[in-house]
Amino acid sequence: MAEPPMERAKSQGMLELAGSVQIRHVDAGSCNGCEVEIASVFGPVYDAERYGARLVASPRHADALLVTGPVTRNMEMALRRTYEAVPEPRMVIALGDCARDCGVFAGAYGVVGAVGDVVPVDVEVTGCPPPPEAIIEALRGMTGR
Amino acid sequence: MILYACALGLCLTAALVALLPARAVTVAAEVITALAGVVAAVAGARATLGHGWSAWLPDLLPLGGLRLALDPLGGLFTAITGAVTVCAAIHGIGSGAARATRAVIPLFVAALLLVPAADSVSTFLFGWELMAMTSLLLVAAEHRDRPSVGKAALWYAVMTHLGLVTIMCGLCYLAAGATGDGFDQLRAAELSPAARDVIFLATLAGFAAKAGIVPLHVWLPRAYPAAPGHVSPLMSGAMVNMGVYGVVRVGLDLLRGGPVWWWWIVLALGALSALYGVLHAAMATDLKRLLGYSSTENMGLVLIGVGAAGFFAADGAGPLAALALTAALLHVVNHAAFKTLLFQAAGSVQRATGTRDLDALGGLRTRMPYTTALFAVGALCASALPPGNGFVSEWLLLQSLIHALPASGVAGAVTMPLAVGAIALTAGLAVATFVKAFGVGFLARPRSPAAERAAESPRTAICGTALAAAACLLLALDPALVLPALTAAVTRVIPVGRPVTGEVTLRLSAITGSISPVLIALALAGAVAAVLSLVRAVATRRVRRPARLWDCGAGPVSARMEYTATSFAEPLQRVFVDALQPESAIDVTVVKESAYLVQRVRFRARVPDRVERLLYEPVLAAAVRLGSQARRLADGSVHRYLSYGFYALTGVLIVLAVIS
Ligand code: SF4
Repeated sequence: MAEPPMERAKSQGMLELAGSVQIRHVDAGSCNGCEVEIASVFGPVYDAERYGARLVASPRHADALLVTGPVTRNMEMALRRTYEAVPEPRMVIALGDCARDCGVFAGAYGVVGAVGDVVPVDVEVTGCPPPPEAIIEALRGMTGR
Repeated sequence: MILYACALGLCLTAALVALLPARAVTVAAEVITALAGVVAAVAGARATLGHGWSAWLPDLLPLGGLRLALDPLGGLFTAITGAVTVCAAIHGIGSGAARATRAVIPLFVAALLLVPAADSVSTFLFGWELMAMTSLLLVAAEHRDRPSVGKAALWYAVMTHLGLVTIMCGLCYLAAGATGDGFDQLRAAELSPAARDVIFLATLAGFAAKAGIVPLHVWLPRAYPAAPGHVSPLMSGAMVNMGVYGVVRVGLDLLRGGPVWWWWIVLALGALSALYGVLHAAMATDLKRLLGYSSTENMGLVLIGVGAAGFFAADGAGPLAALALTAALLHVVNHAAFKTLLFQAAGSVQRATGTRDLDALGGLRTRMPYTTALFAVGALCASALPPGNGFVSEWLLLQSLIHALPASGVAGAVTMPLAVGAIALTAGLAVATFVKAFGVGFLARPRSPAAERAAESPRTAICGTALAAAACLLLALDPALVLPALTAAVTRVIPVGRPVTGEVTLRLSAITGSISPVLIALALAGAVAAVLSLVRAVATRRVRRPARLWDCGAGPVSARMEYTATSFAEPLQRVFVDALQPESAIDVTVVKESAYLVQRVRFRARVPDRVERLLYEPVLAAAVRLGSQARRLADGSVHRYLSYGFYALTGVLIVLAVIS
């Protein structure tokens, strides 16, 4: 049974998404802990798709980017280009502590910075890794379902 | 008559002029050849319109003399040859071919003009052999520059001469049963059915070899790439037609048709060639090899039409037979037009980039815009889609086959649907083939430095190609233009009314059916315009933002990310894996220290010609074995050789003594 719909976030872009958010996942240098949680979010137990969130295979099809990990030097340009490739209105979710403020990797030689240093971030999810409930909550905040 | 003689004279003049050492005269040779083409086309057209003639020049050749006659059927093929010659000669101006090549080309044209005008067995064989010899010289012309050319020429020489031998046997057998070797006497010959069967099969083998029909096609995909740029249009636009001419002339005219099974064989060979040819064309990565296999395919389609015509004629369904033969001859005309165009464009590409490998081409649209546009026209026509010209003839062919059912009993009820299926599959694969040839060869980004440096060909080459393209478009929009000539040629061998009538709309007289290519083209153009304007109207309502091409975020898009001809054909190769049996080999080289670290991986894939593998290679291997065993007989001892001569002579004398 799905819970009653959550309060929708108030930003302009989110209103246009009309209850359905197509998400492109970008691993900018994660330890893959966050990916495990994402996998369970979209698995049969938490099933984020029933709230209108869906993973897609290309940024061209996406409304939002779901970025994990600190942005490493090798992934910086790729992240920028992926962001460029998403049609507007577009949003960025920084998932996990690494994505928010580099977390345990802060100051490492291969790290450029947090996701917010490279592309504008709209939604943040805390935790290392964030539990599936927190991710679901953030996604429902975007889809409004 | 005078025009025809003029054309032959101009050819000989061109050959002589080409031998002169001065530079300016090399252009003159091409111009004179083009003129000869124009004159020949007019002479052929006049013959189809009822101004036929015949002549006997007893002193020109030993034995029978030169006996010539141009009837509508021969006139049609003469006109095609003339038209192709014009395009090829203009395309060849300034091509920088060797002087000997320039001199042989007009002779080759003369031979091509001689064959359809021959009116006796000796003249025909003379023309045929001249055609074989001159074309062989042209195929071998560049043997010093490229090692593969010599081998191709060898294959061609063997195949074409084996064909000559069977034709010679067939025709001489026919002439032996008649009162003389003139074609009129052959028509009147009374032969036993068995003799007629032998004659038909022998000549069919020879003509099929010339037309590149499976399983005698092996020379064709070798010889076309080997021939110089402006020779392959002549070979594929004019020479392979002679095979069809021969089958029609001997089968339907000289032997006046035959039992149904003859035409079953022709039809089956045609269907087999169409499918086999187009499958290999779809797999080919060498542009000229692709076009060569496509010739096999198209000649197969033509033979389906000829076979159906003979089949119907033998069944007494004259009007249907006439329709099928009209379709076949129209396809000969169409094929000559678009194949000339495509080979000339391919020649231009080879001259500009030095390669024919589709996997190394690409990006020619910006560098060679005219050639690209012209090739696109040819590709459209060759893929038998409206509004191309190939569509009209294939449609006519399908109509004649589909409506065969009530007319031709059980045999027809089984054969014709199969033939329809073969044509449909062929047409579908032809689309894939030419999408590949055009898309991979000309669009996208250049795949090699050679393609990057390509420059547009000289104006004369573009003119020659554009002329062929104009012919294609004309045939596509108004096929009624050549209808009188085709009707005359068809009624020459199957004398029933006019199978197809009409000006803008072609109407079939044997069955209910009509087609108007102009209206189809207009409707298509209208539909395309409507869709484009709709898309534009919808698209401009949204805000647009320029964005980078999506490259997975991994850096600039490179030519290595493009589809290649091989990868484009791979799904088809998987579908037809049983028919094609492709071969692939992977060698992995590991580093010395560990078997788990790979230093280099080499992958090789090849789609071998299975007919060649199953039919020719065992024969060749056996011949080589026989040769090396026979070598033991020749050990260099003169005494031994003398004794061979002595024993052989004694043997012959004993045999003669016993017989007489
Ligand atoms: S937040 Fe934690 S789990 Fe996620 S990438 Fe960083 S270290 Fe790994």
